Amino acid sequence: MWWTRGALVVVVWVVALVGLGAAQSRATLQVAIAADVNVVEAHNNYLGVAFARNNPGVTVHAVGTGTGEAASRAVYTKIKAQADAGRRPWDLDVALVSMRYAAQMVRERLLYRFVPQMQFGRYVVGPDTERAFGVEVKGYVVPMFKNQIAIAYNPTFVQRPPRSFAELEAWVRANPRRFGYNGIKGGVSGIGFVMAWVYYKTGRYELLTQGPYDRKHDPIIRQALEQLREFNRNVVLTSGNAGTLDALNRGEIWMGAVWVDQLVAWKNEGRMNPDITPVLIAPGLPIYPLYLVVPREAANRDWGVRYVDFVANPQIQAKVIVEQFGWYPGIDPDRVMPLVSPQARALLFKGVTPQDLARYSLQMPLGEYYDAILLAYEEIVR
Amino acid sequence: MNRWERWGWTLAALPAVLVLLVTFGLPLAQSLAASFVRDGRPTLENYALVYRLYRQDVLYTLGVAAAGVLLTFACGIHLAGYFRLRAWPWVEFLLKVPLFVPFVVTGHAMRVFLQPSGTLSLALGALGLVAPGTRLGLGEGWLGLVLALTWKHLALVVLLLVGAFRAVDDSYLEAAQGFGAGYLRQTWAVLVPMSATPLALACVLTLTSMLGSFSIPLLMSRGSGPQMLMIDLYYRFGQHGDFGVASALGVISYVLASGAVYAYLRSVAR
Repeated sequence: MWWTRGALVVVVWVVALVGLGAAQSRATLQVAIAADVNVVEAHNNYLGVAFARNNPGVTVHAVGTGTGEAASRAVYTKIKAQADAGRRPWDLDVALVSMRYAAQMVRERLLYRFVPQMQFGRYVVGPDTERAFGVEVKGYVVPMFKNQIAIAYNPTFVQRPPRSFAELEAWVRANPRRFGYNGIKGGVSGIGFVMAWVYYKTGRYELLTQGPYDRKHDPIIRQALEQLREFNRNVVLTSGNAGTLDALNRGEIWMGAVWVDQLVAWKNEGRMNPDITPVLIAPGLPIYPLYLVVPREAANRDWGVRYVDFVANPQIQAKVIVEQFGWYPGIDPDRVMPLVSPQARALLFKGVTPQDLARYSLQMPLGEYYDAILLAYEEIVR
Repeated sequence: MNRWERWGWTLAALPAVLVLLVTFGLPLAQSLAASFVRDGRPTLENYALVYRLYRQDVLYTLGVAAAGVLLTFACGIHLAGYFRLRAWPWVEFLLKVPLFVPFVVTGHAMRVFLQPSGTLSLALGALGLVAPGTRLGLGEGWLGLVLALTWKHLALVVLLLVGAFRAVDDSYLEAAQGFGAGYLRQTWAVLVPMSATPLALACVLTLTSMLGSFSIPLLMSRGSGPQMLMIDLYYRFGQHGDFGVASALGVISYVLASGAVYAYLRSVAR
């Protein structure tokens, strides 16, 4: 009968198409990015595309959850809700989150310990890959890149930039309202500056970053913040990191605490006065990595691990992370920097040299001290 | 209304009431409960922390909202009175433009306009009204915030008031004109008293909207000094994941807004 033959042909086509479809879409990696749009762009337009090219049938779908700690909190809330509901598998395969929430997720056993399985796992080095906010994170996190908070200055107005917090204090006294940072509600660069101030004034960096936590140290923190309140009288408090860069660009302020990556990115895009230069001052300012993590019950966990491994490849780190986006490498710089072009290297280390990074890159404090400092700031400094 | 009609209307209203209960009543009850819980135990600690850290911000928020309402109505009443007495459709249309501008766009535009090196400073310098290079920092303080909130809310207030003023019969205005009343007198002696209820409603809507404003203060605010309550609320749960204090701030905002609604209901009931 003609219709049975016709039906058979249709069935064969449907089966073939379904089979082809299954073969074609082996996995769609769901990647949540708790960072700015340029980081989402890095995953969707560069890293994801290259990974998909090397792994036919796999697609990378990256979405941004916003900026600041609230963005990482959104990722944490989603994963935690699925864990609490007992649902399996979880619908995020890879996430890029802040140090603080990565530490919290490790503590709450929401992440998969995947670094030992990675081909490039041996290049995941540095104290920030071992402990974060007092939590043992070794094996659970891979920094996609590292971001340094530094003091950016305009050489037209500042011929001799400060080399230490003491010099900065003196400079601010002599040049009132020409230094700016964004407080604690406008993002992590302002928070990092406050933490660095507390390290400088208390001289207790080891205690604040390694513990143990003890409330008996509250008075020295409060005293440091009382001094910050006095310092702030001659300072411009901006609305965010972009606000600080904007004020620097307009000449409203001559120096400010900023993220180095955003400064470099804005200069690359021609949005920023190219003369503005970052400098790291003693005793140092925090470096704050963004970690790639794999949720414990991710639906495509193995592909997620392979994707993170791909991002940690020294070639990818050199070409995409450093050259394309102007970030500091997330993995061992000794493996990455020899692969970076001299021009990109010069741009990256203008003002802040590798030696400065080695000497003056500091960690964020333990979670308890971090919260205590922010609380005291709200109460004392405002 | 007979018994069947009552049942019919009750059934018709039921879906809407249920939606209201689920989308508003339940979250309200949850945040009220959460505001009295910290670390899993009942406590007043969240409110104590609000008092310790944010009492200044509660007053600041009330002050900014009250100043915004006063300025909005000072402008809105005169504009609406003018449009009631002398129709000028093009200007009336222009005045409604802010209705279609999102809050976030307003915040950004006002930031660019009012910041120290913004358009206003440059324009006044170019006109010679201030010394060239003068940086007016209007956008940095409460005044800039009040101006931005007023600009955003003025269109809605004028829209509501023009409607209310147009409902006033012409004969009252003609009688006032007969006694020699000018535009201001007609507005304040005839239109405003005869539109007291819609005016109070517009006032409550504006006040509650200003109390709950978020995007404009977020875009215009500095990193120091008092902040609007919604910024504090966002900071508490966004930065710290502290839902207890965030809920307490939410409850305080409800109470502030409820005060305005209560005053409005009293005025209507009278």
